[in-house]
Amino acid sequence: MLIELKDVNKTYNNGQPLHVLKGIDLSIDSGEFVSIMGASGSGKSTLLNILGILDNYDSGEYYIDGKLIKGLSERQAADYRNRMIGFIFQSYNLIGFKTAVENVELPLFYQGIARKKRHQMAMEYLDRLGLADWAKHYPNEMSGGQKQRVAIARALITSPRIVLADEPTGALDSKTSVEIMELLQQLNREDRMTIIVVTHESGVANATNKIIHIKDGIIGQIEDNRQHHASVFGTSTVMK
Amino acid sequence: MRDVFIEIWESIRRNKLRTCLTGFAVSWGIFMLIVLLGAGNGLMNAFLVGGEGISTNVMQVGGGWTSKPYDGLKEGRIIELDERDVALTKSEVFANHVDQVISTVSTSATVIYGKKHFSGSIEGSFPARRQMDKIEILYGRFLNEKDIKENRKVVVLPEDQAEILLGNDIRDTGARLPGMKLNSNSGKKVRPQDILGKYIRIGDFSYRVVGITKTNDASNSNTVYVPYTTLRVIYGKGRTVDDITFTFHGLDSEKENEAFEEQYRSAVNLRHRAAPDDRRALWIWNRFTQNLQMNRGRNILNTALWIIGLFTLLGGIVGVSNIMLITVKERTHEFGIRKAIGASPWDIVKLILAESVTITAVFGYIGMFFGMIACQILDKTVGQSSVSIMDEQIAMFVNPTVGLDVALEATLVLIIAGTIAGFFPARKAAQVRPIEALRAE
Repeated sequence: MLIELKDVNKTYNNGQPLHVLKGIDLSIDSGEFVSIMGASGSGKSTLLNILGILDNYDSGEYYIDGKLIKGLSERQAADYRNRMIGFIFQSYNLIGFKTAVENVELPLFYQGIARKKRHQMAMEYLDRLGLADWAKHYPNEMSGGQKQRVAIARALITSPRIVLADEPTGALDSKTSVEIMELLQQLNREDRMTIIVVTHESGVANATNKIIHIKDGIIGQIEDNRQHHASVFGTSTVMK
Repeated sequence: MRDVFIEIWESIRRNKLRTCLTGFAVSWGIFMLIVLLGAGNGLMNAFLVGGEGISTNVMQVGGGWTSKPYDGLKEGRIIELDERDVALTKSEVFANHVDQVISTVSTSATVIYGKKHFSGSIEGSFPARRQMDKIEILYGRFLNEKDIKENRKVVVLPEDQAEILLGNDIRDTGARLPGMKLNSNSGKKVRPQDILGKYIRIGDFSYRVVGITKTNDASNSNTVYVPYTTLRVIYGKGRTVDDITFTFHGLDSEKENEAFEEQYRSAVNLRHRAAPDDRRALWIWNRFTQNLQMNRGRNILNTALWIIGLFTLLGGIVGVSNIMLITVKERTHEFGIRKAIGASPWDIVKLILAESVTITAVFGYIGMFFGMIACQILDKTVGQSSVSIMDEQIAMFVNPTVGLDVALEATLVLIIAGTIAGFFPARKAAQVRPIEALRAE
């Protein structure tokens, strides 16, 4: 198993204690394309934070590739995030004063890779995503879809073990949303990339192979969705 | 490193105005520091101009008035030193410390050459005087042993006085200081060395000019020197001497010097039937302790100026710190993203500290540059003027500039200041949680 969570609990102590994750048990294998679905307040964001080593948990165990992720120093956590996890965010989270290629280079910069090498790698990834011509453009000169593809290139450049996508289509129109989901599907299919998508949109979830429902901090139903018929609207409907 | 600087440049470029405004405060601080230190140096240099040319291991003693009754005699008696005091100084009693002893007699007289003349003090002196006062000979020679032995009527003139006698009346043309060109009276100027070998009149006798010394306005070196023996004979000074000057060794601390002075004073005073501890009966000018005090004064002044300068700079540092805090606040989301994709806290701290140090250093150097220019302007204006006090030219500022050492110290100060300014903002930046990245803008 690539990812294993055993009885993970998380409580926020802001004034009134809020028990967000109530014993999560979850296993995700390498090469899976999974979505985590839930309404807002269901604990899916918290789960994503823990999966992405952005936040810590109170009790339980979380393994990535057999490595226990617990009580890490900030430096260690940063290093793990850098090498094992690629993030795709709803709001792209590109750095505005850096060009597309510089944004894609950034994770490699924190790995200490030489300037020339990382530039070359970044250009390769941009080329793969059909953005080679946009390499020198700044994020505000690009469309939402282009920005998200730059973000995907940035997530992929370190060859992470897991790609975590947080509402990757949340800020995109329906046509672009379909394109982005197809891109993710392609990455999963061709590169055997493990992708976890967190969403509350059934259309997005339907594009994945497995849907994990989370409700009130507890994992509910886990749907096998290899046939992509989960959407209430059926396979032919658009996502939005 | 290059990447860090590119990042800093990107950040600063986005906030040109506020960076410049903040940087101005730093520039101003360093500017003030440099100008203050430069002015302080100028002031001290003006004091020390005479001192630099004088050996520090020299004591000069002269007679005074008794200030207390002793041995049945009333106070208020004049103490006149004489040759027996010279012999005492040379004797075994003080041989442990005293090296060379000379005595001088002096008088004031009118010096005449052709139609020109001046009045001044004439000192009957010894060849050793040249070493003790580090008198610089421009042309000819100083007094020698033969002059003394044969009571020769020879004279050593200061440059300025020679000029007066030759008709190049420099006093009329205004102030003149070392480093400034002589104002020549077009064409009819005679070079000062032309007076060498000529005879001039001092009082009722003719003297041959054998040497010309460099005039130093700050020290009283516009004295005319003639052989000790000559002056004593001509003016009938008898056995009295005006002062005794001697070099010494082995007195390295203020305490040792004081002890020696006590011992010396009591010996001389007792010879004149004055109280051994009567400080007014015998004046002692110890150039060594004077020099120590001068140095102490210089250090105090320097420290005070540094403190004032640093406090001025403090305003700039607080400004930079403030601006860095704002930067961190603005970039919280960005730092979150950076952390999410693998930046360690140190990576973020590095970014802020480097930016803070860069701003401080760049603007600091601008300030330093202008400070140096201001010092140069000061040097070219106030540094060249002098005030006339009792017919003597006194320089207020001499070379009011700072050296490379101060520039290096200031560089160090800037780097430390930049680090301090960046410290709290950087710590704040390092505490940004990577979850910030997930928060929509």
